Amino acid sequence: MLDLRAITAGYTRNAPVFRDVSLTVAPGEAVGLLGPSGCGKSTLARVAALLHRPESGTLVLDGEPVRRWRHRAPRAQRTAFGVVFQQPRLSADPRLRLTDLIAEPLRATGRREGSADRVAELAATVGLTADLLGRRPHEVSDGQLQRACLARALVLRPRWLVCDEMTAMLDASTTAALVRVVEDYRAATGAGLLAVGHDRTLLDRWCDRTVDWTALTGTALAAEAAR
Amino acid sequence: MTERAPVLSVRGLSVRFLMPGGRRVAAVTDAHFEVRAGECLALIGESGCGKSVLASALLGLLPGNAQTAGSALLGDLDLLTADERTLARTVRGRLAGLVPQSPAAHLTPVRTIRSQLQETVAALTPTRGRAALRSAAEAAAERAAFPVDHLDRHPHELSGGLAQRAATALALVGDAPLLLADEPTTGLDRDLVDRTVDELRRHVDAGGEGRALLMITHDLAAAERIADRVAVMYAGRIVELADAAAFFGTPGPRHPYSRGLLQALPDRAFTPIPGLPPELGALPDGCAFAPRCDRANDACAVLPPLSGTVACHHPHAALTEAADRA
Amino acid sequence: MAETAAEKAERPGTAWRSYGAKHRSTRTLRLRTSAALVALTVLAVLVVPPLVQLDQQAVDLAAKLRPPSPEHPFGTDDVGRDLLLRCVYGLRVSLLVGVAAALTATVVGTAVGAAAGALGGWVDRAVMRVVDAFSSVPHLLLGIFIVAMFRPGVWPVVVSVALTHWLSTARIVRAEVLSLRSRPFIDAAVSGGASRWRVAVRHLLPGVLPQAALAAVLMVPHAMWHESALSFLGLGLPTHMASLGNLIQSARGSLLAGQWWPTLFPGLFIIVPTLAVAGLAGAWRERINPRRRSELML
Repeated sequence: MLDLRAITAGYTRNAPVFRDVSLTVAPGEAVGLLGPSGCGKSTLARVAALLHRPESGTLVLDGEPVRRWRHRAPRAQRTAFGVVFQQPRLSADPRLRLTDLIAEPLRATGRREGSADRVAELAATVGLTADLLGRRPHEVSDGQLQRACLARALVLRPRWLVCDEMTAMLDASTTAALVRVVEDYRAATGAGLLAVGHDRTLLDRWCDRTVDWTALTGTALAAEAAR
Repeated sequence: MTERAPVLSVRGLSVRFLMPGGRRVAAVTDAHFEVRAGECLALIGESGCGKSVLASALLGLLPGNAQTAGSALLGDLDLLTADERTLARTVRGRLAGLVPQSPAAHLTPVRTIRSQLQETVAALTPTRGRAALRSAAEAAAERAAFPVDHLDRHPHELSGGLAQRAATALALVGDAPLLLADEPTTGLDRDLVDRTVDELRRHVDAGGEGRALLMITHDLAAAERIADRVAVMYAGRIVELADAAAFFGTPGPRHPYSRGLLQALPDRAFTPIPGLPPELGALPDGCAFAPRCDRANDACAVLPPLSGTVACHHPHAALTEAADRA
Repeated sequence: MAETAAEKAERPGTAWRSYGAKHRSTRTLRLRTSAALVALTVLAVLVVPPLVQLDQQAVDLAAKLRPPSPEHPFGTDDVGRDLLLRCVYGLRVSLLVGVAAALTATVVGTAVGAAAGALGGWVDRAVMRVVDAFSSVPHLLLGIFIVAMFRPGVWPVVVSVALTHWLSTARIVRAEVLSLRSRPFIDAAVSGGASRWRVAVRHLLPGVLPQAALAAVLMVPHAMWHESALSFLGLGLPTHMASLGNLIQSARGSLLAGQWWPTLFPGLFIIVPTLAVAGLAGAWRERINPRRRSELML
């Protein structure tokens, strides 16, 4: 269970991006979070993936309350999430070849043995050829790079996937391909998914249920007014 | 097809990039198409298929390692051979307006929208004098549905949608016969996409028979909303040129690639085309789509010409599709 | 119809038109000139002294203050020493001081800036206040203060220049680290289980090294000027050493008497190599600019 309760978060002290937002994702469930760009839904996704400490509110991950974020969070908690971002160019270290990009989490967690096999297996899953694996990010297209970023997110077999506008920059065919990879992985492992996006058609097709950002913040405001 | 005069006529346009080590990347190969007055042509394809390079070629904005061949006639002027001076003085803004991919990067961050609009009006039209420039700028803003009371704001004070309208207003000032929109909807959410393309459509229609729009996009829903005709690009070549209504409705696209693209949409089959597009630096001799195509056979080892509307040895026929549905 | 056109485009005889050959040529010219001058400087400094068995200190009072001539291309100074030889040796000393100081300053600046940027919080605030405090004192004044504490020599000058120049590197590196730190790829690394140390060493540091190296190269001319200024004031290298600053300093008197060559040539020896180094660094900066890279690709 991924349970976000009354989260308030932002980047400057007194001006949070949003207040009192609550959202729950059950194990194995796929939840779509729909909202216009710049509304703060990406910030919520980062809070959920333990990448941004909220100002207030609680996050309960599989029954355990989360108290620390980013590097302070225990590694086992951090790596329970696979994260894919909107812009592949910015989410890939420009100096790493795609193989190293995908294998990086394995190395960071000291699981070097068998990493070559795991990378090869994932590359096949996301549809990257051996030739592409040897290249650096500036030598491949956005779509190919996003495939590598998805492989990196899956390499540690996370229990939760957070896809923040994963397909916003991609064409229809690559979008369908990446969504299929995510769904195949979820079917095999029972992982939960939080998919953030602005395309209702896509999220409705992809996810078990789609939550409107305005509904989340709207109820929060209504609750505040009732108090 | 109608008999209206073409505003832009592209004939055999090819672009090559010379890479270090003598490699040649075939970014665009032998593109033939026309954009007619009062018409909107959507050029669609995956990222990296060469469509942005084609736009850069039309605007004379190719990097130093590029080579071009063929011609792109805008009126009597060949955009590919025109020198920088001609392009700067008579083409950009006056004959061809550009609606940019990211308006935030296209607008000057330190000046208000009003001052940028006035500067453009002064540069592109004979309007002179403070009061005249002011009202001309306001008229230009109104044409792009940009709220006049936001004119004194700086670009960072505008939402994404308003910034897009400001950029559109700038593109429309010169009343250019050709509007070129390069991925104008990237990163916008669905409502904004719809509003942006509706506005572009309105400008084409408002110009009567005088204006034409070439929109380059990977967003099929946006293309469906705005286009009269569709050009599909794959691996640097235009593989299908079709009427938009027939393409998105019945009988549907004829090229297997176009069909695959549409079937990948979440409101259709949502199935991806298998495999990856080929490298533009190492294209196969025959049909570039053959390795991913379920209809491919030996005939596909020969490059299919764009005959009529489709470049394929085994195109879907209008009739088979109708029969399938029946 | 279309078929023939398609064949035509691929025919070897297709008329290809090239783009952008014009603006590239001035850029290349600048790059080549700079590279040639830098090569010449390095050659003069490394190769000439051991090869030419001439004594730069050789005094010839009979030939003092001779204007440039075939025998002495740069003329002679007030005790008849050959100025060309003195300039080459002076450049050698100045360059040594400049490189040593720039390297020291870069190492210190990168370490401090990277630590401030990567750790953030109170470490960042404290470090940046120290940097501000240092920057608020004029460089030359601070430099003079440091040199004055030691006996004249090469190392006090190196320390003085390094201690006044690491500030800008620290600022550049910190800013670069801060901008890299907010990129999603750092988020991805954190999510992938990378430790703080691993993020700093594997992802942040390699990203700032090109910038730091560029800053180091640009600092060499700066440090040379600083050394010359200190020597000119009589506070830098001991006066018997032929540094460029010392040469100009000792030529002051003759300049007033109308003898221009003892001032001009050492001056040129400072200006020309520094401009050349700056030109090379500028070309390099264009190279590592990621926008240019993406321009060349599709």
